[in-house]
Amino acid sequence: MTMLPERAPGAKKFGLVIDLDTCVGCHACAVNCKEWNTGGEAGILPDYDQYGAQPDGVWFNRIHSYETEEGGCSRTVNLPRSCLHCEDALCVTVCPTGASYKRVEDGIVLVDTDKCIGCQLCAWACPYGARELDEKAGVMRKCTLCIDRIHDENLPPAEREPACVATCPARARHFGDLADPESEVSKLLEARGGLDLLSDLGYRPTNKYLPPRRATIPSAPAPAPSPDGKGLGAALLKLLDKALSR
Amino acid sequence: MRPATSILLLTTATGFGFGLLAWLGAYATLGLLPPAARVLLAAGITVSLIFASFGLAASVFHLERKERAWRAFTQWQSSWLSREGVAAVLIYPVAIAFGVAFWRDGQSLWVRLLGATTLIGSLGTVYCTAMIYASLKPVRQWHNAHTAPDYLLYALFSGAVLFAALRTVVLGAPGAMASVAAGMAAVAFVAKRAYWRHIDQQAPLATLAAAIGMPNGKARALDAPHFSENFILRQMGFTIARRHAARLRRLALGIGFALPLLLEGMASLAVAPRASTLLAFACAALGLLIERWLFFGEATHVSALYYGRRV
Amino acid sequence: MARTTCYMCACRCGIKVHLEDGKLRYIEGNREHPINRGVLCAKGSAGIMTAISPARLSTPLRRIGPRGCGSFEAISWDEAMGIATDRLAAIRASDPSRLAFYTGRDQSQSLTGHFARMFGTVNFAAHGGFCSVNMAAAGLYSVGGAFWEFGEPDWEHAKLFLLFGVAEDHDSNPIKLGLGTLKARGAKIISINPVRTGYSAIADEFLAITPGTDGLLVLALIHCLLEAGRIDTEFLIRYTNAHHLVIDAPGAPDHGLIARDAAGREVCFDRASRALLAAQTVGTDPALSGRVMLPDGRYARPAFALLAERYGDAQYSPEAIAARCGIDAATIRRIAAEIAEVAFNQPVVLEQPWTDTAGREHATMTGRPVAMHAMRGVSAHSNGFHTCRAVHVLQMLLGAIDTPGSWRYKSPYPKPIPCASAPGRPRVPGGALDAPPLGCPRGPEDLLVDEAGEPLRLDRAFSWDAPLAIHGLMHMAIARAYESGPEKIDTLFLFMSNMAWNSAMNPGETTRMLTECDEHGNYRIPFVIVADAFASETVAYADLVLPDTTYLERHDCISLLDRPIGSAHGPGDAIRVPVLKPDRDVRPFQDVLIDLAGRLELADFADEQGRPLYSSYADYMVRHERKHGVGPLAGFRGEDGLARGKGEPNPRQLERYIENGGFWRYELPHEQRYFKHANRAYLTGARTMGLIDDDDQIVLQLYVETLQRFRLAAEGHSPTRPPERLRERIIRYFDPLPIWYVPLEEALSDRARFPLHAITQRPMAMYHSWGSHNTWLRQILSENRLYVHQDLAAELGVADEDWVWVRSRNGSLRCQVRTMRGVNRDTVWTWNAIGKRTGAWALKHDAPEFGRGFLLNHIISEYLPKQGDDAPHSNSDPITGQAAWFDLTVSLERCATPGPEETSPRWDANPLRIRTAPEDTR
Repeated sequence: MTMLPERAPGAKKFGLVIDLDTCVGCHACAVNCKEWNTGGEAGILPDYDQYGAQPDGVWFNRIHSYETEEGGCSRTVNLPRSCLHCEDALCVTVCPTGASYKRVEDGIVLVDTDKCIGCQLCAWACPYGARELDEKAGVMRKCTLCIDRIHDENLPPAEREPACVATCPARARHFGDLADPESEVSKLLEARGGLDLLSDLGYRPTNKYLPPRRATIPSAPAPAPSPDGKGLGAALLKLLDKALSR
Repeated sequence: MRPATSILLLTTATGFGFGLLAWLGAYATLGLLPPAARVLLAAGITVSLIFASFGLAASVFHLERKERAWRAFTQWQSSWLSREGVAAVLIYPVAIAFGVAFWRDGQSLWVRLLGATTLIGSLGTVYCTAMIYASLKPVRQWHNAHTAPDYLLYALFSGAVLFAALRTVVLGAPGAMASVAAGMAAVAFVAKRAYWRHIDQQAPLATLAAAIGMPNGKARALDAPHFSENFILRQMGFTIARRHAARLRRLALGIGFALPLLLEGMASLAVAPRASTLLAFACAALGLLIERWLFFGEATHVSALYYGRRV
Repeated sequence: MARTTCYMCACRCGIKVHLEDGKLRYIEGNREHPINRGVLCAKGSAGIMTAISPARLSTPLRRIGPRGCGSFEAISWDEAMGIATDRLAAIRASDPSRLAFYTGRDQSQSLTGHFARMFGTVNFAAHGGFCSVNMAAAGLYSVGGAFWEFGEPDWEHAKLFLLFGVAEDHDSNPIKLGLGTLKARGAKIISINPVRTGYSAIADEFLAITPGTDGLLVLALIHCLLEAGRIDTEFLIRYTNAHHLVIDAPGAPDHGLIARDAAGREVCFDRASRALLAAQTVGTDPALSGRVMLPDGRYARPAFALLAERYGDAQYSPEAIAARCGIDAATIRRIAAEIAEVAFNQPVVLEQPWTDTAGREHATMTGRPVAMHAMRGVSAHSNGFHTCRAVHVLQMLLGAIDTPGSWRYKSPYPKPIPCASAPGRPRVPGGALDAPPLGCPRGPEDLLVDEAGEPLRLDRAFSWDAPLAIHGLMHMAIARAYESGPEKIDTLFLFMSNMAWNSAMNPGETTRMLTECDEHGNYRIPFVIVADAFASETVAYADLVLPDTTYLERHDCISLLDRPIGSAHGPGDAIRVPVLKPDRDVRPFQDVLIDLAGRLELADFADEQGRPLYSSYADYMVRHERKHGVGPLAGFRGEDGLARGKGEPNPRQLERYIENGGFWRYELPHEQRYFKHANRAYLTGARTMGLIDDDDQIVLQLYVETLQRFRLAAEGHSPTRPPERLRERIIRYFDPLPIWYVPLEEALSDRARFPLHAITQRPMAMYHSWGSHNTWLRQILSENRLYVHQDLAAELGVADEDWVWVRSRNGSLRCQVRTMRGVNRDTVWTWNAIGKRTGAWALKHDAPEFGRGFLLNHIISEYLPKQGDDAPHSNSDPITGQAAWFDLTVSLERCATPGPEETSPRWDANPLRIRTAPEDTR
């Protein structure tokens, strides 16, 4: 059903919190995602022209690099881009077949590839470019938040997180229930403030991004050059004068 | 947005088909169809359904999994695409019943009712089609107050042109339809220019900085996630050069609206009505294909921002 | 599911490999593994596609066409081994050093080095010489450890982290985990790098330094700290040689050496007793300044006094160096103040008692939470040794070596300074070397030179050209083999190294040398054996190709004898186990080498009757003993598997490793985790485990006396002295205190013509060439651009995607530009090893790597410009022989006429064409 579900009281809101202050842009999440969500040689996330002129394929997660200026501060920002599991997911409501849906119990947006007709309207409806067509199977593909991991009772509890989160070497990616104010992700958001991508468009994304910060060290003003230009100034001589004990 | 042939054919052909059907319905509703127009109406309904069917068939070709196309009828509660499908399918029996009723009874209340239903249904279908695009928030050139009225207008314009040609072929003269078509051409001309002015002056939907969550900063794309074009860039990153677009705009206006205006005007003055109306139809068809190509080709998708493209 | 060790790069992460129906399904990080703790980078995850790469070699090959054209015939392993054995046996019978054996980023140097030693060739090295030997040598000679391989920042406690010359690699996951930890803790990260990508992107402060000037910046920081009196004098006198007295007798044979007493102990001046005492005496009040008369009437000065005098000088003030570094003086002064603030006002105090080597008991471990890490960007300059030394000196002055919050040793380091073993030399003709071929010279007497002072080694390592070339000079191997001719070098044996392409400083010259013939039509380098798993550019230049397996198809050991997986928390090592059976006729290179050694009847590989001792590498890993009780694997030794470090071979050792997740690790007790260089419990424990030979305090070398020994020799005070042409050079560069000089190539280049610096780096997703053809990774990067600062681009009239010519004194290349802001204004850079030779790596002919990728190497040279009549020097650090990749200077110019939209130079394609033998001859 492509109507967006009413949020039931107590329902979970699973999502990612991605720390732009920590993401080094290494593509680890993107590749591990592709690996988990494909079957190796028998892959279900297709690749096209693997060793030729236009190497391409379906990925659920893509890593961009930007140079930004904000408040007089210039920096390089790496941005992993994937499905944000929006609360107002237009990709769901435009779907004519019901293949695209948002789960009632945890808010994850999924595609039922058995129902998808490959009309691609959902991809058009997504402002984040998070849906990619599987041109071999003719169905739309997107991030599942690793639904086959997070609910897999056979996995140890610590491993029940999306592959991108488990593999992130800088630990810039966090997964949890954003509806639960006591969850780690909620606390992180509380402490750091979360960014919505394209907030004006009103999709109300579930995934949040933590803004880059700038740590500083308040310190005494730097000493001015010593008057004679010799570093062996009074401070050092005084220091060297002190008795030592080896 | 990539102008896919299937979608260009879909929207243009259904515009002609449902536009013609709408005019037929309107004529019947208003009681303007003389009983002698049985052949004309039968031909009109047949032609309009052929156009509509051609368009709908083309749209199926757009689907990657055609064998599952039936599923598209299920989600009419939320999806304009689904609604379009449902409406398009429902209009067939109505239109046929309308035609049969007229054939049998000529003017009657039933005919008027069925005509009105046909009018509403066909314009409704066009509206659904329009709303598929108008509801897409990520595409500013679509998500605006122009799209739906424009689609209805172009459908009525193309339907009028088609009707005029058809009437001329069947009855030897276009009647009032030539004047109507000329008028529609003029309105469509103005509307199209207004639309282009709108999208040219429209502010970008968002900045790259907003796209990456820093609406107050400045941002510039450094490295994309990949070098080859992927699905997103092929679909959503399609761009045309400004100069190229301007040339196409002139062509669309000239061929699609100005020439039909001229030709229908000639037809209404009984100057070579058959050739004029047929040529007007051919021009409108070609012009609308160009117009539709631009509707897609000039549309930008906000997701292309992530790749540093202008939207 | 199998647990093994990744090998998509050199980080040695633990992986869990899942199979489904015998096929690879998923590779993930092993959460128990100490290196990566469950995380895995892009390369590691892409490993499942490398395992099915079409570029994998599938059978032994013998060249049938001209060398380099790519024509081969498939041969059997019997035949291949026969050819190799005959060739090597003949060499061994004449002069074993006519075999030059060079390996890439392999992790089996304890085996390959031992093979070379037993074979008896001095001509062995791995890739360290063109990677980071400056870092390794400066570290080992200064602090008995080094960045990356032998040390790591204290991520848990550091409050300020200085990252020099590391953008995206070296290392991969551990540094990312560490940066994440620092970020989570709110520590400040300062990146000193010409390029702001990767790790620098998340730095709290980015200093876009001019390449090659890091040393100057560090010395300016030292200047500021001296000026402000913000140094840890107690740390200096307890743990370094700051108070050791340096003889001040210019012209004397011992000038600049440390004064010693009759027992040979270094002396200091005790201010309490006003007497000269052994420097290591406990309870003294040693002077760090002044001038002291020695018993023989000569004078000496504390090493620190020399240091303070040098760097106190105004020439090292921020104001004096700011313009050269491209960083303003106020910023340098502020950073010095921040360093001082964190080091001295915010010390980390751990409530952990410990005892030092002097027997003093300490109630706490107190540290200076300023951590540093440096790598390639600092290392790959011809002044890199001294730059890296400067960083270590800064650390010592702050008391920030192996203390809480600072940089820490990774077990099995620290090791005595300099390390125990001098480079091996031939003992008897045709016999083995007396020591491993790579070692640390302790003075001129350890050099491998003949009577005239000329090099014994092909690559001139351990000669006066590069005395401390402790990793060899792999980048010079082919050039020198070509120069010296067939009399000196018969066979070049390369393993896992792309020496004809991106690992060559200049691929054009290198391939010319590989293919040039003498007047009789014989190749100047007579025979080339290449062992590799993939069809790299180099394979086409082999006469014999020995196809290796991928890392998922073989045993390996990540040994304490090489570069293990130890951390500051304790020693560890790991294995690889075969997860897949090879589906083609390939063999693990290590098995092949052991087979070859057995056939050649080398000592330690064959018994007295000439029968091979080991059936495979797995067998060798378990049974081989380097010395009694010490083998390739340190864990689960002894009959019962309980011994660690030292113990009898355990036949069940590999099973125990497998049960344990593919690795072994010993967690040091908490009292041993810091101050390892002077920690009684640690040093004793390390000796017991066989990590070090004695448990004396390892005195950190603020002042490196060894360097002065070479300088004295150059001044004529040693029986071993440099040839005349190198004397000045040795005197100039062998300064016992860090110096800074303009990188050699830069100093010799015409800066008016070539005003820009050009450097490369590896993208995180593919920082080793054998992974960059991977189908997933090449979807990320299949082309490269030259990155140019926006201001520079505007000045040159160049915009994004424009084609430009990049020119150096060595040639020109054409490529496309991408502009950015986060780069030093006068530096251009690109990703390395994206550009590939047409036809290589089994890519299709229209792959963008060929026509849109490019390699900066084409305009680098392995030689410096010729000066005077002497043969040109190699483009290397004069101390360590480190390849000076980043000394390159270039000019940039927009392509005036629209040429072909293709990078240049682009060479003819030479894909492998393999003739297979008819079935019946198999």
